[in-house]
Amino acid sequence: MNGTPRLLNRILLGILGFKLLVIGVLLVLLAAVPSVAAWWHSWSRSVSDSVTAAFEGTQFPGRQGSWLWVVLALAVVLLIGLMVAWIAQQGKGRTDLLLAAEDPGGVPGDIRIGGGVAEQALKNALADRPDLAGATVSIYDVKGQPALKLRLHPRPGVAPQAVAAEAADLVDALSAVVGQRTPVLVHIAAGARTRFSRAERVR
Amino acid sequence: MSSVVEQQHDSAGDPAQGSSGAAHASAIDMRRVLHRETHASRAVAAVIAGSLVIVLCLYALLESAVRAIGQPPWLIDPQTAAERIVALPSGLPPLLLGAAGAVTAAVGLFFFLCAVLPGRRARHLLSDRRIAVVVDDEVIAAALARSARLAANVTQEQVMVVVSRRQVVVNVRPTSGVPVSENAILQAVEEELEAMGPSPMPQVTINLSTSGVVGA
Repeated sequence: MNGTPRLLNRILLGILGFKLLVIGVLLVLLAAVPSVAAWWHSWSRSVSDSVTAAFEGTQFPGRQGSWLWVVLALAVVLLIGLMVAWIAQQGKGRTDLLLAAEDPGGVPGDIRIGGGVAEQALKNALADRPDLAGATVSIYDVKGQPALKLRLHPRPGVAPQAVAAEAADLVDALSAVVGQRTPVLVHIAAGARTRFSRAERVR
Repeated sequence: MSSVVEQQHDSAGDPAQGSSGAAHASAIDMRRVLHRETHASRAVAAVIAGSLVIVLCLYALLESAVRAIGQPPWLIDPQTAAERIVALPSGLPPLLLGAAGAVTAAVGLFFFLCAVLPGRRARHLLSDRRIAVVVDDEVIAAALARSARLAANVTQEQVMVVVSRRQVVVNVRPTSGVPVSENAILQAVEEELEAMGPSPMPQVTINLSTSGVVGA
């Protein structure tokens, strides 16, 4: 439900993984197979010669050193920036606004309902239920529209369809209060808290 | 149903029913949201990979900077590193080289498989007409274990249920000397599963163990 760039994750992870895999296999082959070592010597020697030639050909006019170093350093800094941006994209998309609408009435102004309303209402309604070990409510921005995510932790053995039906009733009540049907995702989850909690044996 | 639910209905139901601001309700594609909920996002692997690349880049920058201002290198200076790499199988014990290669290849394989595999999470969907519901398989297993336990009349520890995408395996260890009907358990579990209606719907298999539990 959050805005994690999943396709980008797959592409970048695939590229990085493939590169590391190739390097690792090459190292193992270098250590194990003598003919690979011979090929590596000739190939890497020619590559390093051409790289040295490139550095020789790109000297600063009238000064020692190659400007290729500057370019490389800039490229590395750019790569670091891109990686930071990539990491910052993970798990984005939480928002704090349940509803933002223009008031059609006579008073000028518009309406904003914060996410705390939904959070407090649902949490209070679910608080003293014996069959739930916990509940969290969060609001996500899905393509510019708010959506509710309700995570419920039932105790072991509780039928999930009953929990889902009651969550649906609560959500209906909430949308009646707010006056707008917000898309809702209910996640009935198991976690450390439910695993070690006591099962209701008598019902 | 608890009384809390009813209260919510009473206090909130009537006045808002008329003001239907719900015209532009679900423009969100719920199918896409559900697909994202049941598949891994690979966020953790992405953060690890990104940090790895950042650390490597910072180290390269450090060594080049140290060389540029003419200081002695921290671990190895770039020129020497390049020469060592060119001369590779010599200069390092083959065992160390092979081990380093194996570790690198394993890390690479981990990232590559993360990217290539479908990444399904152990979750099922429940069909509800109003809201989208995702259930962890562990919750389903606990509910099925409860109904199997009641049908077989055994304790909690004698039932183990494994739920996968298309299969439910119920393992029951009966109490010694007390007969247990496999059909009764199967019926109870299937009824519970039908009432739940997870999609995709799994097949139920019951395993009655031949050895019983004493004194349960």
